[in-house]
Amino acid sequence: MSRAAIFAKIESATAMVKAKAAYPEYDLSIVHSQPRLQGADLWEIFTRNFSAVNGRAMTSVAELLDFLKQSSQLHGYCDPLLYDDIGAQLAAAGLVVETEYHRDRYDDYQFGITRASGAIAESGTVIIDDDRTSHRLAALSPWVHIAVLSRGEIHRSIPDAIAAFGESPNIIWCTGPSKTADVEGILIEGVHGPGEQIALVI
Amino acid sequence: MGTCLCDAFYDDVARATVEVLEHLGVSVEFPDNQTCCGQPAFNSGDWVASRKVARHCASVFSGDLPVIVPSGSCAAMNFHGNLLQFEEQPDAGIDSLARRTWEVMDFIFNGLGMKKWPGKFQEPTRIVFHRSCHSRGTGSGDATLELLGSIENAVVVPFGQDEQCCGFGGTFSVTFPHISGRMGSLKLDHLLEAEPDILVSGDMSCLMHLNGLARTQGRAIEHLHAIQVLRNSLL
Amino acid sequence: MIGIQPIDQYARDISDEKQASVIDGSSKGTEKRYHSLHQDYPDPDAIRKLAASIKDHTLHHLGEYLAKAEESLTARGVNVHYASTDEDARQTILAILRQHGVTQLTKSKSMAAEEIHLNPFLIENGVECLESDLGEFIIQLDGDEPSHIVKPIIHKNRRDIAKTFVREGVAADYNDDPETITRRARVFLREKYMQAQAGITGANFVCADTGRLALITNEGNSRFGMAPVQVHIALVGIEKVIPQEKDLAVFLNLLGRSATGQQLTVYTEFINGPRSANQPDGPEHMHVVFMDNGRTDVLASNCREILRCIRCGACQNVCPVYRQASGHAYRSTYGGPVGAVLSPILFGSRFPELADLPKASSLCGACNEVCPVDIPIPDLLLRLRDKAKKESVPSAGAIPMSPFATLATSPSLWRTAMTMSKAMNHLPIQVAPIKPLQDWLGQRTLPDSKGGDFRKWMKTHQADAARAGKAP
Repeated sequence: MSRAAIFAKIESATAMVKAKAAYPEYDLSIVHSQPRLQGADLWEIFTRNFSAVNGRAMTSVAELLDFLKQSSQLHGYCDPLLYDDIGAQLAAAGLVVETEYHRDRYDDYQFGITRASGAIAESGTVIIDDDRTSHRLAALSPWVHIAVLSRGEIHRSIPDAIAAFGESPNIIWCTGPSKTADVEGILIEGVHGPGEQIALVI
Repeated sequence: MGTCLCDAFYDDVARATVEVLEHLGVSVEFPDNQTCCGQPAFNSGDWVASRKVARHCASVFSGDLPVIVPSGSCAAMNFHGNLLQFEEQPDAGIDSLARRTWEVMDFIFNGLGMKKWPGKFQEPTRIVFHRSCHSRGTGSGDATLELLGSIENAVVVPFGQDEQCCGFGGTFSVTFPHISGRMGSLKLDHLLEAEPDILVSGDMSCLMHLNGLARTQGRAIEHLHAIQVLRNSLL
Repeated sequence: MIGIQPIDQYARDISDEKQASVIDGSSKGTEKRYHSLHQDYPDPDAIRKLAASIKDHTLHHLGEYLAKAEESLTARGVNVHYASTDEDARQTILAILRQHGVTQLTKSKSMAAEEIHLNPFLIENGVECLESDLGEFIIQLDGDEPSHIVKPIIHKNRRDIAKTFVREGVAADYNDDPETITRRARVFLREKYMQAQAGITGANFVCADTGRLALITNEGNSRFGMAPVQVHIALVGIEKVIPQEKDLAVFLNLLGRSATGQQLTVYTEFINGPRSANQPDGPEHMHVVFMDNGRTDVLASNCREILRCIRCGACQNVCPVYRQASGHAYRSTYGGPVGAVLSPILFGSRFPELADLPKASSLCGACNEVCPVDIPIPDLLLRLRDKAKKESVPSAGAIPMSPFATLATSPSLWRTAMTMSKAMNHLPIQVAPIKPLQDWLGQRTLPDSKGGDFRKWMKTHQADAARAGKAP
């Protein structure tokens, strides 16, 4: 009932518009930020912009291990598909690494290693796609989230990343750690989601 | 040339407009039957009244001469506000007035192509320039900055939150006296922090408001319309 | 005696502390926006104008695009509902919740949900409904109303919040360190997320071509609110539709920068269906409720450009009147310049009661200058002032304009008045029976009248020139 009424009202309202605006044909380069896109290597551009939003870009498991040890984040989750490449090395160094995420123990996981399906160089964003990532919650509840991606998966710009959406029903772009400035405009990281967002390239 | 605020309070601004334009070889007429552009009624929402006044204004300034106004807000009334209130009842006289109206600094810089001002101050003079809000989106603000900056010994100094309004807004100032006063005082804080010698604007209404507050608060400052600065720097 | 405008009165009564918070927050917002746009783009105006034309095109063909969005969503297993009014929307949502047996949910910030006061309604109907955005959470604890579109608690300081947390049992002891406040909310809310059965969100954009909803938060609350639950309900104003995914690049680049000076908000989520088959987390059921609630009336009005709005709050930040009066002065969900246009027409029956809002502006145009979709807000405010006058809506502080018109259309009377006004220099006009004028003159010193002086000079000047043989 509401549907018919709303469409009828839209119809009569838009009929009153004398000059209807045409869809503007435009070149998406208008929204490219040239200063942010400067550089030839996509990983390098990504790293620069990701650091600017307080993300940490890493290129080796050793580097990740150092960081986790130093920040005392010693218990976490790892996507089973990434265990051989990453989780096993952390476990060998004495960290507790689970390959199953148990919701009832959500507070036990201090870090979560999950698959990202790509990144955006221009904005320093990691992309998580429902179809390819093991657990949404494992990327949210731990203090540290490690998004794992390969160099070939980095999109140059925001429009490129949109063009590559594909068929997944759920895609999320994470541009740095969870944050708020609700209290007196002061930036605080780690509100609901991770306080540390890491991109690890393999 | 048209003006009513200068006619009422700031005769020297009107004089300076005539003198500067004549200096540039332009002869100036001041139609004696002119009154007001209609803006007070327009802004108050009484468009029946303001259309009457606008039609009178268009008839006084009919013909094909450029209409020069030493006020960003009256200029905007002629070339923008009028088109809005005559949207449903287009009027050839109103359209013609809109096409021919110029704010004076815009006219000198963009109309006459005078990109530098051959004036001089005896000693270095710090100027703060408050862009009148009604000149947003027009060429007036940049034109004024360029012309003032090109005067020998003039130092145009930047100040904080320069996009903020002085709080006048015509009848707004009277219907919202408290907010308007607070806005003006904040504006003054920012302007005076730059330690200027002169406060300059393209609208005497902004200056009337700012100086009205400044006098009451005991911090009056020399304030001039940009056109007076151009004229004075020639003397 | 002509009285005082409600918004001016509100600004008089506001505490110095609250006002300082608002001025500080909004001026910082304006600065951040300016830098992020100008650092990244040589001509941000070109992008604003492009965004405006995409929105105008969509609004002018809204029926077509809304139907397409519905079709795209339905094809992907999303249940699409329509709600004509606020009451329809509330009942539709309640029915969905009952259908799925939901008794507890979290809600991420949505202006549409604020507009229909969804929270109190659901709570009255036995559904535990918790706001998950930090600012909105605090608003809910206080029984307050948000006063800014993107910074709902811009009017509060850390001490207010610390007291609330103790009073409401979120924290055992008083601590006003912003980081501690945030951590305490983190702990409190994640337990609620895990217990909930549904998540309610709004949507920032809906792409007609694929049905994708774009949902934006910095905190990650909407993502968290939907990860452990089975049901996602999105309440979406019908004007949120855009033609295609490609256009998202234009709007996302503008929205983050205009709202908070970020290139992108931290979490930008794109959803057009229930979770993937192989994904353990996320809703199995997705519902989208498209809501009219006055939007088609706005579309039919001469202020339809306001429907371009993408709710970034930049106009609130820059507005000098908002800074002085705060969002609550506007007596509606939407405060500031956008609210001054939207509220009186969106809630059509409240027009007479809200007709003073469009008057609370010096028409300085700063709002239009910063608007990411180039809404000509001052023009719309003027059209609403005209509407109020035409519909004879009485308004406090209105100065009668017909005497002015009579004077200004009669040149000889005008000239006489100009000359006469010089005599007024000696009259105490402070005693005129107009309260605002008395207030005005209490704060300001008028310059002396010079009525007629310039005309006299001009006549002499022209005569001199003629005598000298020059053309005047």
